[in-house]
Amino acid sequence: MVADRVSDEPGTATSSPAAPTPSEQDVLVVTDVERRFGDLKAVDGVSLSIRPGETFGLLGPNGAGKTTTITMIAGLLAPDRGTIEVAGERMHPSAVAVKRHIGLVPQDLALYPDLKGRENLRYFARLQGLRGADLKHRVDEVLEVVGLADRAKDPVKEYSGGMKRRLNIAVGLLHRPSLLILDEPTVGVDPQSRNAILESVEALAGEGMAVLYTTHYMEEAERLCDRIAIIDTGRIQAAGTRSELIRLLGSSDQVRLSGTGDLRAASSAVAQVRGVERADVTDSEVLVTAADAPAALAAIVTAASTHLELADVEITRPDLEQVFLHLTGKALRD
Amino acid sequence: MGAVWTIVTKDLQQRLRDKSVLIFSIAVPLALMTVLNLVIPTSADDVELEPVTMAASIDADDELADVVVSSLAGLSVFQVTVADSEDPRASVDAGDADLGLIIPPGLTEDLRSGTEHSVQMVIGDGAGLSANILIAVTDGLLSEMRSRSVSAAAAIEAGLAPDVAAQLAQEEVDAAGAITAEEGEASDQQLTAGGALIAGQAGLFLMFTVGFGVLSMVAERESGTLARLRSMPIRPGSIVLAKALGAFVLGVLATAVLLTAGSLMFGVAFGNVGAVGVLVLCAVAAATSLTFIVVRLARTAEQANIVQTILALVLGMSGGAFFPIAASGALGAVLDVNPIAAFTRGLGITAGGGGLSDLTAPVLTLLAFAAICLLVSRAIPDRGETR
Ligand SMILES: Nc1ncnc2c1ncn2[C@@H]1O[C@H](COP(=O)(O)OP(=O)(O)OP(=O)(O)O)[C@@H](O)[C@H]1O
Ligand SMILES: [Mg+2]
Repeated sequence: MVADRVSDEPGTATSSPAAPTPSEQDVLVVTDVERRFGDLKAVDGVSLSIRPGETFGLLGPNGAGKTTTITMIAGLLAPDRGTIEVAGERMHPSAVAVKRHIGLVPQDLALYPDLKGRENLRYFARLQGLRGADLKHRVDEVLEVVGLADRAKDPVKEYSGGMKRRLNIAVGLLHRPSLLILDEPTVGVDPQSRNAILESVEALAGEGMAVLYTTHYMEEAERLCDRIAIIDTGRIQAAGTRSELIRLLGSSDQVRLSGTGDLRAASSAVAQVRGVERADVTDSEVLVTAADAPAALAAIVTAASTHLELADVEITRPDLEQVFLHLTGKALRD
Repeated sequence: MGAVWTIVTKDLQQRLRDKSVLIFSIAVPLALMTVLNLVIPTSADDVELEPVTMAASIDADDELADVVVSSLAGLSVFQVTVADSEDPRASVDAGDADLGLIIPPGLTEDLRSGTEHSVQMVIGDGAGLSANILIAVTDGLLSEMRSRSVSAAAAIEAGLAPDVAAQLAQEEVDAAGAITAEEGEASDQQLTAGGALIAGQAGLFLMFTVGFGVLSMVAERESGTLARLRSMPIRPGSIVLAKALGAFVLGVLATAVLLTAGSLMFGVAFGNVGAVGVLVLCAVAAATSLTFIVVRLARTAEQANIVQTILALVLGMSGGAFFPIAASGALGAVLDVNPIAAFTRGLGITAGGGGLSDLTAPVLTLLAFAAICLLVSRAIPDRGETR
């Protein structure tokens, strides 16, 4: 679950060069990176760092600079200013060895439609330096991860959109990168495939892979990411855990408890629960305010149940959509 | 090197699977050769030159006159029969000879002293191309002797035995002959019309074939797979090298097949296999590196294909893929550096019996072309820079 992974250091991703204090073991350290296209500053002083096993989200609208940032991190484009280090090595378009550490899943499909699914994977695996039994094993393994084992013998041009997306992801996993970079991997995918993709990302992060995930879907960022950076017009507007970002709004989660029994006693009990800021009694329910309601929910329900026969529990949370609106004055999606 | 090999094998596998190379690099040009071979009027190269009978009247003691007649009789292009005649004009009129040659006595003397010496030739009504060629050759021979026989004449004057002097004179004539032969080799005149057609078409389609290899780079840039390759631990140069190598292999294979099939189908011999092979390698190198300029200039695969097609047609046409082209002056110089023209010229030389050592000019032209294109392509900024 997202809610119980809490960052100890809020704001280790900002647009201000001085802010991050990356640690030794960070898989990725981006420092004050800038990139222009003509007069346009597509990326404007971005800094961020990611630890092993962490899923880091870049959340921003179209044209925010997500792909440009990722393109530089993957060594396809040189920054005009700033540095990028992956696993302690400097990343640059002409660098070779350091690229072993990253697995890029580009926003646009990068596959050979005429070749079969397995042939695509074998080709990219060879280019990653895999050979022989190891190669075969890894190809089989990633086919399982993305659920395409039974379609591996078909040419990619016969795949559905969602299957192509999943194969696109599989290519990035072949060599077990320490940093997996996913650029909007669920765009144009049906809900079922989308769920499958999100589940595989969760599983990979669970195995200790660092993941950099860009999206303009708030729900995806909320579900997957330990930390999220909100990016707009090339600048990181704010970064932190979900609750840290929500806190910027000055409002917390709310839990409504309704049922029959002693509302007042229930409210006093709930107020003692860790993480609960306050508990008020209204006409027929207890209104609980907590920083992270899902995390505290079990304890809240337990405390309330001693005094109430609970009929309904409802959580309302301010979401990142509101945070984005708060920070930029515009909606996340147009 | 592993990455290069991996990319090359994948590319070749892809090309063979989609059959594009088989169709556009081999089947289409062979079909085109067949059609063009039917419609193209046979040029002078293919005309069987008729044997010529020449009635000659010379002074038996005149050394150089004898040399002239025996040189003409020894021509290998067509058969010349020389008959001694008191009155060649009468023999021609009577139809006994196609051509009459009258060298009044004293040719040797006059050449030595630099005096005018008129030689007469009589041509019959029914005389064909061969007789006309023979007149031109005689004329050329005599003017060569006029300028070159000083040594022979001087030798006779110095009292050398006449047969030694005759041999000296013969050497002079041979030298003159060698010059004429060299001029012949410098053009593609040694190729028959059919041979020129095969060579030109092979050169033209070579441009398309290497296009399949090299321009797949533009297609990959467009489809995003190039960006993916560049995010992998591969040296950036490996990708370019792999594309060049793939194009090169395809080009060599297709050209070899075309020349072999063409020569079997149309009965054309291109001569020494080793020399032809070297020529093919150089031509493929030139075409491949030219295509890298297209890669740099084109933003999209579609643009690249259009530019490549235009280049292929322009170079192919001016290189004689459809009809022989001759030009002199500045235009001629431009045509001379055209790799397809150089390739055709080279094949003309090998078809005429030339070996590797005779190919210096076309080989150097092709290699210089390849080198310059490579440098230019490096110097042009990549318009389709990946994001
Ligand atoms: N190669 C390029 N040349 C010129 N401008 C570019 C180039 N690549 C990106 N841009 C511009 O830079 C800005 C950021 O683009 P980028 O692709 O990074 O946005 P994004 O956040 O990935 O958007 P999306 O969600 O639509 O993918 C945009 O204004 C875009 O037009
Ligand atoms: Mg993008």
